[in-house]
Amino acid sequence: MGSFVVKRLLVTVLVLIVVSIISFSLVHLSGDPAVAMAGERASPEQIAEIRKAYGYDRPFHEQYLSWVGRFVSGDFGRSTYLKEDVGPVLARHIPITATLGVLALAFALLVAVPLGVIAALWPNTIIDRIALVLAVAGQAMPSFLSSLALIYGFGVMLRWLPVSGTATWQHYILPAVALGYYAAPAIMRLTRSGMMDVLKSDHVRTARAYGLSPWRVVLRHGLRHAIIPVVAVATVQFGYMLGGSVVVEAVFSMNGLGNLAWLSIRRYDVEVIQAILLVIAATYAVLTLAADLLNAALDPRIRTS
Amino acid sequence: MTPLLEIRSLSLEIPVNDGLLRPIRSVDLTVERGETVAIVGESGCGKSLTSLAVMGLQPQNARLSAERLAFQGESLLGLDRRRWQAIRGKRIAMIFQDPMTAFDPCYRMGDQMAEILRQHRPVSRAEARERIVALLRRVGVPAPEDRLDQFPHQLSGGLRQRMMIATALLCEPELIIADEPTTALDVTIQAQILRLLADVQQETGVGLILVTHDIGVVAGLADRVVVMYGGEVVESGTTDEVLGSPRHPYTAGLMRSIPVPGRTRRGQPLGHIPGLVPRPIAPLTACGFLDRCEFRHEACAAAPVPLRSGAGERQLRCLLPIETPRQPAEPLVAATAIA
Amino acid sequence: MADTSLIDGASASISAAPAAKPMPTPGQIALRRMARHPGFWFGGIVLGVFVLAAIAAPLLTPYDPGTQDLARRLAAPVWNSAGSWQHPLGTDHLGRDYLALLLYGARISLFVGFATVLISGLIGTVLGVAAGYWGGRVDLFVNFLLTVRLTLPVVLVALVAVAVLGQSLPLLVLVIGGLLWDRLVIVTRTATQQLVGREFVTAARAIGSSTPRILMREILPNITSALIVVGTLELARAILMEATLTFLGLGIQPPLTSWGLMISEAKSQFLFRPWLIAIPGTALILLILAINILGDALRDVLSPEGRA
Ligand SMILES: Nc1ncnc2c1ncn2[C@@H]1O[C@H](COP(=O)(O)OP(=O)(O)O)[C@@H](O)[C@H]1O
Ligand code: SF4
Ligand SMILES: [Mg+2]
Repeated sequence: MGSFVVKRLLVTVLVLIVVSIISFSLVHLSGDPAVAMAGERASPEQIAEIRKAYGYDRPFHEQYLSWVGRFVSGDFGRSTYLKEDVGPVLARHIPITATLGVLALAFALLVAVPLGVIAALWPNTIIDRIALVLAVAGQAMPSFLSSLALIYGFGVMLRWLPVSGTATWQHYILPAVALGYYAAPAIMRLTRSGMMDVLKSDHVRTARAYGLSPWRVVLRHGLRHAIIPVVAVATVQFGYMLGGSVVVEAVFSMNGLGNLAWLSIRRYDVEVIQAILLVIAATYAVLTLAADLLNAALDPRIRTS
Repeated sequence: MTPLLEIRSLSLEIPVNDGLLRPIRSVDLTVERGETVAIVGESGCGKSLTSLAVMGLQPQNARLSAERLAFQGESLLGLDRRRWQAIRGKRIAMIFQDPMTAFDPCYRMGDQMAEILRQHRPVSRAEARERIVALLRRVGVPAPEDRLDQFPHQLSGGLRQRMMIATALLCEPELIIADEPTTALDVTIQAQILRLLADVQQETGVGLILVTHDIGVVAGLADRVVVMYGGEVVESGTTDEVLGSPRHPYTAGLMRSIPVPGRTRRGQPLGHIPGLVPRPIAPLTACGFLDRCEFRHEACAAAPVPLRSGAGERQLRCLLPIETPRQPAEPLVAATAIA
Repeated sequence: MADTSLIDGASASISAAPAAKPMPTPGQIALRRMARHPGFWFGGIVLGVFVLAAIAAPLLTPYDPGTQDLARRLAAPVWNSAGSWQHPLGTDHLGRDYLALLLYGARISLFVGFATVLISGLIGTVLGVAAGYWGGRVDLFVNFLLTVRLTLPVVLVALVAVAVLGQSLPLLVLVIGGLLWDRLVIVTRTATQQLVGREFVTAARAIGSSTPRILMREILPNITSALIVVGTLELARAILMEATLTFLGLGIQPPLTSWGLMISEAKSQFLFRPWLIAIPGTALILLILAINILGDALRDVLSPEGRA
């Protein structure tokens, strides 16, 4: 198991290096960021000044290496638009997106896992069919539409929940639903098929034959197994949510990482964009790594070998 | 005295895509207290389904019917979930074929056994542990304390099956159903496990149903033998009666496929019954064994064959004479006549 | 709780009834199964209607989607008490006919969808087949590319790319196509791996067929059904992606029109005129739903063993 961990770690580092090269080149693809940064009415002198100040006149690989060097040492650069170091800016925005992501994932799991279990316990019944329809319909709804629909329904018509900002915990409910439901169908299908398989397995038959209560059979000897792949998928989905939160944060005017990314892209705030791309990619990479390890830890057959 | 287990005319029907499967057809079976009954037949003859039906564990979509299905005189038909739970594992315990998969791979052996014991008995963890260790010692598991902390995959097949037997003994059941307990094991281990089962049975006086496709293991273990084919009981009687002079062509065929020490040489092909167990899809209109029988004659194809009683405890589902042993070399009608 | 099926391997014994008629070809079997599959009908018909409506847009509405008529701005749709048949779906904040916008918008959505799938299909097939056919280092490399791709947050990267490279339709297609090939790689890779182990490929190798020939003659034809299934599902993903980018203001730009743009422009109006969002929103959901259902049906029909 030790060598597996080391190999996975190496791959993760390698992936992150490539990702950092991609994100770095992406923002420099247009040629000269200084032109965009200086704005439309800038004089050639001003542009040259910016170019020099940010080192855009140096060779590409030098720029990249110095950027990575700074990044690794904790210096994320300085935002041209906000006139502020990127580090503190990120620190301000990350908690909001992280909270949103956790809540969204919690919502997805709370809906999808019980539905999947129920669908597996009574396959091909009305409940199973309804769960399937919900899953198919859910996946056809883009999150900006579901966000708008939620705002209209619960914010405007019913006036139950706030629809803009992050002032209270209630502000997080609708965005979390909008972000989380998209992950629910995949989790539900996985839970259902996993439960169907495990309920047919010999050890579940043993549990029944020895008079264990249905709860114990289904949860301890059934779900315990079916949940292992769900954990991996849920972790990956959490990574997607961090990237996908840009839409939901924009609609609900939440000041998280996604919204910051969106605004920075429109302002062409290079350092912020790069930092966000790398932070989200790194989070995703770490999460998938964690999911793999967690998977191994949950399965005694892997853990003890 | 009421028998330990009494099954009269048990049938199971399972709807499938292309019709109605009838894997168990009007099976009769009785087990007395302290008795060992072997159910023998090739794979697919309905042995496992019969065992599972006794515990109410038939497939969800299966329709079960029986004239009588009673344990210690109490009917098991239409029991609710709670009453079933109080019987399963506590009064009737089951030993499964594949000890590899029968335990939950996610939990330690000790925890799984304790979970079952504590489901049925109000004992503390420590008491449970004590009883489990004692039982493991009894069934010949070396270093029992260490086994408790191991996961199933860390044990050998033989060890796992010993622990399965210990699990069955946990709540001192009145009946143990062992469904092919040695099929998945190495030959040398098979003998040990069968020996252990016999010892345990002797010691505890538990009723034992031994399901097997290998009629060779039955001698010396079972008091009575029930031969199943195509979901029906085709022959039954005391072990001496059935093994001593098998009357049903199917039983005789099963007997021919046992290697005989001294006579069968290594690598020498064993006798076998040509053909396959049919899929139990249609209602019977003739003898169920007709297709594969070397003694079939016209009457066999005319109608389903009833179970007849002979001398002693012998019962036979065949039109051949029940009393006089027949000469296997002289079929009554040439087999080609109907084929 | 009821006891579920406990006997393993039972269903394996349930074989199909032997066919009395001459054996139909796999294609015939697939067609017959399709005809009986409700998902295939629903998905196919809805998608067909959308495609036809997009092609026949000029016949279906007299209006040009670009023509503004400020005097008739924000007219209600016909089912609203204030609506009229003159503009069946009303008009937007610039007085453009909403039906015309919807129909011409369908052209963009469908174009972006199909064009994108061509690109991502090409990338995905090349990578997937290479990984599956050669295995070893090639497979490791493709796997690495796949991991990198999955590590990148798609929406953000697409937004940055469009912002940096400029906002034109071909570029949008390139960006989305260049990002959404992950599932295509996974599926074609697995399908190819399965084929490589089979006799006819081994035989082709044994008689010395050239690699390109084996790839074109033996591998490609046999992975098409898998490719069609994922391709269909990717079509939906691409359309969603375009709508999302456009909604965020970095996709389709005026004077072109698209459903994402209609929704984006109607945002400020939607408290008072929810239909401005409901109309393109419903169209979008219906289209995605139809494509997904069609994809699921195709999977059922073409590769029943590959069902989730
Ligand atoms: N859950 C089930 N659904 C449908 N058919 C089944 C099921 N379980 C068993 N069968 C069928 O019933 C017959 C008897 O099975 P079984 O009792 O397992 O035989 P044995 O234990 O004697 O090998 C077989 O034909 C088998 O295919
Ligand atoms: S009844 Fe006839 S066919 Fe059936 S087993 Fe006896 S002899 Fe054979
Ligand atoms: Mg069996």
